[in-house]
Amino acid sequence: MKLLDSIFDTAFRFLPHRSKTGLFPIGDPDRSSPVIVTGNYTLTVRRVSKALQGEDVWLLVTDSRGINVWCAAGGGHLTHHDVIAAVRTSQVADRVDHQELILPQLSATGVERNRVEEATGWHATWGPVHATDLPAFLRRGRHAVREERAVRFPMSDRLQMAVMWTAPMVPILWLILWAISGPLPAVVGAVAITAIVLGLFAGMPWLPLRTHRGLLVYGGLALAGFAFGAALFTAAGALTTRNLIVLAAACVVGTGIVSVDVAGSTPLLSSSVNPSDFRVELLVDRCTGAAQCVLVCPRDVLVMNGHVHKVEIVRPANCILCGACIVQCPEDALRFRFDDGRVVEPATIRRTRLNLLGKRTIDVT
Amino acid sequence: MSTYAFMRWLESTPSRYDRGMHLLSRGRMSRVYDRVAELAAGPGLRVLDVGCGTGGVTLACAARGAEAVGLDRDAGMLEVAAAKPAPADGSVEWVELGAAEIEDRFDPETFDSVVSCLAFSEMSPQERAYVLGIVHDRLRPGGRLVIADEVEPTGAGARLLYRLLRIPMTVATWLLTQKTTHPVHGLTDAVRQAGFANIDEERPWPAFVILSARRPS
Ligand code: SF4
Repeated sequence: MKLLDSIFDTAFRFLPHRSKTGLFPIGDPDRSSPVIVTGNYTLTVRRVSKALQGEDVWLLVTDSRGINVWCAAGGGHLTHHDVIAAVRTSQVADRVDHQELILPQLSATGVERNRVEEATGWHATWGPVHATDLPAFLRRGRHAVREERAVRFPMSDRLQMAVMWTAPMVPILWLILWAISGPLPAVVGAVAITAIVLGLFAGMPWLPLRTHRGLLVYGGLALAGFAFGAALFTAAGALTTRNLIVLAAACVVGTGIVSVDVAGSTPLLSSSVNPSDFRVELLVDRCTGAAQCVLVCPRDVLVMNGHVHKVEIVRPANCILCGACIVQCPEDALRFRFDDGRVVEPATIRRTRLNLLGKRTIDVT
Repeated sequence: MSTYAFMRWLESTPSRYDRGMHLLSRGRMSRVYDRVAELAAGPGLRVLDVGCGTGGVTLACAARGAEAVGLDRDAGMLEVAAAKPAPADGSVEWVELGAAEIEDRFDPETFDSVVSCLAFSEMSPQERAYVLGIVHDRLRPGGRLVIADEVEPTGAGARLLYRLLRIPMTVATWLLTQKTTHPVHGLTDAVRQAGFANIDEERPWPAFVILSARRPS
């Protein structure tokens, strides 16, 4: 059953899957055990619980509307309001003697740490990005090292994302292909599209998708998928012009669908939902070196310069415009700036999160 | 982050919410707003709308002359609410706050009525009990609580039909409004346990209840 759940959740992970909210024991926690906050996306809860096997901790599952922590926080579906509600309504204060929360780092676009602390009186620390680093983080005295603050997107995760894209898309395209051209072209077309998506995710870290060369990459992938399909037709002795036309159409449509925003489903690139002509700007005069931004940046863009006691943007090309640094800065020293000079102030980001292109009003000045 | 279409669609939720609700309730939701306001609001009364969303109930209360406060955790929903014309008679104030944070902003015994439409069904039973306790204390003695929400029908036949329709209805509701409506179970008991009395229930349709109660004087 668990395996089936996992397969279902992985294949349909673009849909919300809600699990129960509240306080749950992992292992045999007592009154001094850590309280770890997460969202109520079933896959997340299962993964965090698995990563914490062997530990004795409390898991405080907040209402992230069944969406994973990062997307929920970016879209305004997981905010400090939800964490405050979870702390108060779960009565966690009656179960432990301390007042320490460990927040998921990737919730930083939505969850304002200081608002949680003000409202609950609890002290909140950012946990590591990946649940698998939680045991080491706990052992180190609730301290995340630099590597644990950055997102990783290893092959296993990339393949899961490929499954997420293909699971709903390929069966639908396969049915359409079958209806218009019969069983063999449908199978070959589906296999070619699957191969394109797999190739895209396997090569993801090296492909310049969000640059002007992105189009070339997609073109190349569609061509490679077409060549692969043509080889399959040859092997099956069915290399006809009609089959090749159907295959070409399938490859173009499949590549077209993923190209809409494959970037946004990866933690390495900024989403195509956002315009690409804006950056994070640091107002050096305002920076007091609180370095909250450094703690939440998942792409290792910012460092604290101890000599001048100010933060510096050292790897701007890594930035995925997640907004976490802007939301957490206590001095409002960070904001978005468009290439044409317009800026988006922190107050706006805190109100709308990353819904910059949605119908929500934003005051870009 | 999320996929383009999915994210864009989620983003536009607040502006689509009213239309979605109108469709799903087959036009009955605005009558629910009016009925809630009729029970809870009046000239000069201070009314708190918990989980006001796009402000349907809050504005209906203000239209009856109340000083209405609409409270929601979702800034996007509040922006849609604030863009609607405010009634001439009463007043409206929009506050971004979670239901579990009411006590941080409002003192005890400061409201004549507390209303809520389709917000309690979004809460876990724990949250529901907590929020009911808080709103009980924010009401002045004798003040009124009115909750409108989805429930299971009482008759066996209607309940069976309702359960059969639940899956398609849940999907339709989510597609149109990105809300998951669950029927609230044990609402009356929870309201009673929070200290309310004189509990009355009306059913504008079998799967929906408008519950009203009073904080004892
Ligand atoms: S620097 Fe870029 S990637 Fe890092 S937190 Fe800020 S917006 Fe996100």
